[in-house]
Amino acid sequence: MFYTIIEQVVNGIVSGSVYAIVAVGMTMIFGVLRAINFAHGEYYMLGTFGAWFAIDYFDLPYPVAIVIGVVATAVIAVVVGNFVMQRIVGAPAEAGVLATLGVALILQNTVILVFGGSYKFFSGGYIEPVTLFGFTLAEQRILIIIVGLIVFIGLELMVTYSRMGKAMRAVSQNIECCAVVGIDVRHVALWTFILGAGLAALSGVLTAPVNVSVYGGMGELITFKTLPIIIMGGLGNVRGTFVAAMILGIAESLVATYVGLQFRDTVGFATLMLVLMWRPHGLFSAQARF
Amino acid sequence: MTSAESPAVRRGPDLRVPFGLALAVLACVAPLFLGNYPLHAIIVALIFLLPAHGLNLLLGYTGLLSLAQAAFFGIGAYASALLAVHFGTPFYLNFLAAGLVTGAVALPLGIPALRLRSTSFVMCTLGFVIIGQAIVKNWISLTRGDMGLAAIPKPYFALGPASFTVSGTVGFYYLVLAIAALATLAVYLIVRSPAGRNMIAIRENETLAESVGIPTWHYKLVVFMISAVFAGLGGSLYAHYLTVVSPLTFQMYYSTTMLIIVLGGGAGTISGVIFGSLLFVGLTEALRVAPELRMIAYGFFLLALVFYFPNGFAPLIGRFWSFLERRK
Repeated sequence: MFYTIIEQVVNGIVSGSVYAIVAVGMTMIFGVLRAINFAHGEYYMLGTFGAWFAIDYFDLPYPVAIVIGVVATAVIAVVVGNFVMQRIVGAPAEAGVLATLGVALILQNTVILVFGGSYKFFSGGYIEPVTLFGFTLAEQRILIIIVGLIVFIGLELMVTYSRMGKAMRAVSQNIECCAVVGIDVRHVALWTFILGAGLAALSGVLTAPVNVSVYGGMGELITFKTLPIIIMGGLGNVRGTFVAAMILGIAESLVATYVGLQFRDTVGFATLMLVLMWRPHGLFSAQARF
Repeated sequence: MTSAESPAVRRGPDLRVPFGLALAVLACVAPLFLGNYPLHAIIVALIFLLPAHGLNLLLGYTGLLSLAQAAFFGIGAYASALLAVHFGTPFYLNFLAAGLVTGAVALPLGIPALRLRSTSFVMCTLGFVIIGQAIVKNWISLTRGDMGLAAIPKPYFALGPASFTVSGTVGFYYLVLAIAALATLAVYLIVRSPAGRNMIAIRENETLAESVGIPTWHYKLVVFMISAVFAGLGGSLYAHYLTVVSPLTFQMYYSTTMLIIVLGGGAGTISGVIFGSLLFVGLTEALRVAPELRMIAYGFFLLALVFYFPNGFAPLIGRFWSFLERRK
């Protein structure tokens, strides 16, 4: 009994790490662009498809496939960023919602058009089980936790010390002042968006061996899981996002085991509504920043 | 509303009334020259007009962007279908019950949701759709889960011993046309009343509206409920028209479609939303040649709407209209 709970918590931490990597990109995009990116799950899907394509068609090893998936997604993000996301800066909220919904439809259905709508088998990754402290865990899950930690430490260092990171923080606090002191806001917005999309892709490639199947519509579910996380974490708040992602991952895992698997995908929004009733600005924010 | 409307500028006679009458006559005689398929497309557009009217009251007049229309559309469809399948009640009862149920569900959902600011409000309304779909999928004893409810009877009316069933496409067309016309009239009356003015005041500046004594919170809640009732009535019609409902009725697709109809036609105008629903038919028809490209084109359509026509496509027509009037 106790053993199962610990096992489910560990599984929850693994999926929490996945959500955290996706959601942190989305929350940074929100911070800079003031727009919820409804297409965020699509970059997760694109990364997975890039890696699947590299493995299935060119027989490349998994680590190379990770790079290909992330780079391919970043290239698409450059195009979308230039044509769509940069124009959202300063536009009303509806514009952001509609434009990113449009991008989601285009990306998702183009992939379905090119590769077909059926489920595909993802054959890469490290699936050998390892035993640690009496628990058996697939190597891939350990890799996900490690990469998740590296990503968060790297992001923390980047936004604290690098020039671009400081610019991102500045833009997310006050766009007008940044424009006045000569920061190229559109440039910062573009790079934040590419970073966010790349992280979503990375998370997709990391999870693919655990989920095994890959299909064109998979991004939508990820978008719907990420939205409650970034709101609960306080929009634009990186550390809050990490904690909210872990809470959701563990909660989902426990609900799936003790309540029923079919209720797993509603945990996010149900928790979100309860949290918002109690704290309308999210868990980790004293007031609404945006 | 616009300066072109003021009598000093206009030279020729007002063409709006004759144009509106011509459109009404055309709508009434449409089955004489339209085949079954075009009629079907127009029926779907008229059904979607109901939730779109609701969304327009919420977004166009009160300034609240909601993605919950699909949830209320689905609730209305299921309420109506369950009544019809289990109790065999006549259509008008199912229809009214669908409206009442969605309104009753919208009240407890609206109270927490409307406390939230713009983005969080949008997310919360999206949550209603996701959770609604999950409930319908998993409450199998009531809704039969993914299998959905089939064999929903076509609308039949029963008063005492007399009863008749609307079965054919033409009959359904007239039923939907009448309901859509009544709904449009209802929206017109709401918008033209003092309440409509107060809604616009809330849209333009909520703080100012509050400071001049408009009870903004009550207005927002009531408009949210009215928009839900409209969506529920639309869902009821949809269920009786297709004669099946499934969890797919709770889909983001429907919320997106409502947004396209309202924003594509022009939020904050009644004629714009009617135009938007016809635009939606045209779009669906034009894309029928390539079904797999339909959703991609939908996406590009949304982008064009946001970046090139932020006021919708109806103002284009209006400009064309005043161009015609000036030429005379």
